[in-house]
Amino acid sequence: MELFDDFSRPLEYISPLDKHFRHVLRKTLEREVISVRRRFDEDWKDHHLIEPAFDRLMGELGLQKALFPQEYGGWGLARSDYFFRIGYMLCEEMGRADTGMAVALAVTFWPLLVILLEPYENERLIREFAPMFCNTRKAVFAANAMTEPQGGSDIENMGLLKGRTIQTTARLDGDEWVINGHKLWPTNSGGVSKLFGVPCTTKPGSTDTLDFAFIYVPAHLKGVTQGNPYEKAGMAADKNGDIWFDEVRVPSWYRAHGPGRDAEAFYQLISIGQVMSVAFMTGAMLNLYERLFEFVSTRTYGNRPLKENDAVAGIIGRIAGDIDICRILGHEAAMIGDRRNKPFGRSIISEDVVGKIRNIKDFVSDRTVEVFGKAMDVLGHYGADRDWDIEKHWRDVKIIQLWMGGKQLCQMEAARYYFNCETL
Amino acid sequence: MNLDELFLAPGRPGGDDEGNVVALVRQFTEKEILGKRLDYLNDYPRLFQDRLQKLAHDIGLQRLAMTEEDGGFGWCLPEHAGGVLEVLTEVGRADASAGVLFSMNYALPFSATLDRDQAAPFLSDRLALTSVILPGPGFAGEISPLFHGRSVLARVRRTDAGAVLNGRTMRPLAGGFMADQYAAVCTDDDGRTCLALVPGSAKGIVKGPALLTTGLNACTNCDITFENVQIHAGNVFSTPGIAEALSSWLSLFLGGVSLGAGLNLFEILSTWCETRVIKGSGLLKENPLCAAVLADVAEELAVTKLLLGNLADILSSAGGRQDTARMFAYAGMIGARVQQSVMKAINRGLELMGSAGYAKEWHAEKHWRDVKTIQSLLCGMGAEAPTKMDTARFFFACSQI
Repeated sequence: MELFDDFSRPLEYISPLDKHFRHVLRKTLEREVISVRRRFDEDWKDHHLIEPAFDRLMGELGLQKALFPQEYGGWGLARSDYFFRIGYMLCEEMGRADTGMAVALAVTFWPLLVILLEPYENERLIREFAPMFCNTRKAVFAANAMTEPQGGSDIENMGLLKGRTIQTTARLDGDEWVINGHKLWPTNSGGVSKLFGVPCTTKPGSTDTLDFAFIYVPAHLKGVTQGNPYEKAGMAADKNGDIWFDEVRVPSWYRAHGPGRDAEAFYQLISIGQVMSVAFMTGAMLNLYERLFEFVSTRTYGNRPLKENDAVAGIIGRIAGDIDICRILGHEAAMIGDRRNKPFGRSIISEDVVGKIRNIKDFVSDRTVEVFGKAMDVLGHYGADRDWDIEKHWRDVKIIQLWMGGKQLCQMEAARYYFNCETL
Repeated sequence: MNLDELFLAPGRPGGDDEGNVVALVRQFTEKEILGKRLDYLNDYPRLFQDRLQKLAHDIGLQRLAMTEEDGGFGWCLPEHAGGVLEVLTEVGRADASAGVLFSMNYALPFSATLDRDQAAPFLSDRLALTSVILPGPGFAGEISPLFHGRSVLARVRRTDAGAVLNGRTMRPLAGGFMADQYAAVCTDDDGRTCLALVPGSAKGIVKGPALLTTGLNACTNCDITFENVQIHAGNVFSTPGIAEALSSWLSLFLGGVSLGAGLNLFEILSTWCETRVIKGSGLLKENPLCAAVLADVAEELAVTKLLLGNLADILSSAGGRQDTARMFAYAGMIGARVQQSVMKAINRGLELMGSAGYAKEWHAEKHWRDVKTIQSLLCGMGAEAPTKMDTARFFFACSQI
């Protein structure tokens, strides 16, 4: 194999935009991120190094406006037939450089997709929020404030709980929504975001999705308090913290769509988030392959390059094989998403698409965590050394396995679909 | 929570002295480290040094493996392997970095008989740290002497004045940047594998920059180069099998450290799943899927403790330095297995804890990073492949691999 790009992906799935977009993006990432990423861990709180890199990518290159329609200054990608596949490419390239930066960018898109993705477009809100992202050369972040203290990722278990456990409330008072609640761990919290998408309930304890509301809350409003970022094992480019909403008032039309459609539009985010999570991981694994290739070619066992020893070759062969399979699966997951509006496709909020994509994400997560752990062992005395980059990815990808309900929710969603379970 | 009652050990007649020392270490670490986790985390460099000093001198762990004649506890004989293992498990439960530093110190006297001068640093009031340099990966295009397939990068030449050591860009297991002495596996003029004890202050030691590493962050490491380093002739130990013995004892001791970290993860997880609910109501631990994950955690740790206890018995009864081939095979095999088991336990635990497991506040992630670092270090390179070759050589008399 000549290049890591030769890892398999179904070529008939690839967007015409892929080659050139990927080239520009890769060049920018190598210059702005890969060259400095080994110092990111110490920069977790201040983002002195990380923020300028975000500015180059999101502001100057313009990634943050990619989803907005062209008439509002964006690139119009949310309306593309290739939305999932272009997103996959973007997240894979970002993941190769730094999965923390990748998730911070992707999560900026996440709450906006509730109003950007057909058939759930909200023209008025697009017009309202587009200038915030499109009329600047500085990075601007958004966050999806979902997780709550009492129940971890229960909120992402919409298929079963239908919002029953949500304790963040929205009360209509005249022409304003009044928000109260406590969220924790959103990507791009910790003082980073200018805009929050907030899943809340209009009737606590209800299992009727008509009572689920998705409401946008600008971060500067009175009553919004953000805690300091948490210190974590990795993912330094992604800040996470607590957010409190105390009698926060927003215009009534900041609700995404209204009863029923809010839950549907929000539920799309689960499959989108899972597909892009897979892309982060395959991107990181492509970089693993690059670094591992160098190590096993230049270091020896029995005075021969490690890769020429049959037993070691058995291990690194399996690693490369897993990367190849995961990349194929990732592209298949993206294609499932892009078939959503086709006659032979299924809605991304249907039980089968949610189940199948959760299943792929769970499978790829397990393989990724295992592959990185094994690669560190192949490096042995050098496995924990930051200069080889693999340990950074190892720390970063673990949280991808854990987020959005983690492994167990993936297993439940898959069982629910494949075995028609009714009570899980 | 009584970890001793939950996680059983193979029956081993440990004396009262051993029990008292283990209890003392547990009492200290619970009060000064585990009981003050957040302070410890927030002021780690200072508090680590303070606690390490206290463990080394107030509790006396620095003298643990020195002979009684020299003023130590006398736990340098194979029959004390189980006692040392328990001590290191207790230290690892509090902080794996401290456990790794003590492990390297203890592996030396368990592998070689130290004279009074060589033992002196461990009996002083100063903290004495030994950094071990084991054979590892070689460099492509260079031919190195081999130790069971691994490259030995240090070479010792005997001279009239003693011995001279050379070796380029070697990676110690841990603590290379801060070591008071190095225990380096090397080869002599006749190609025999031996062990050189090199004072950290010796001329000709060139240290690379301090490395940033996944875990064991208090054991600052760096690459080491020996440029014509002169040492006393007595600092070169040529007993056949000495490198195998050193490696074997490290497998046992570092297994104990990782087990300790895993047991603390078990405690953290137990607390966590008592307070978390799933699906809006039931306790997380009462959900069958989550309970199955919890069972995995317990099973891996329970099996690890049994395996390590048995390995300690095997190393004791093997006569220590007399039966190095069997020691090496069993210690490598079990050493690798227990690291895998503890990593699996911690990984499964983190799966349940989700983001809480990933945040530094809960301390689970530190155990995850530390144990992974230990596991990779013990591999040397090539993941499990070199140890598999050692195992195959012992059990199937392979001679060409």
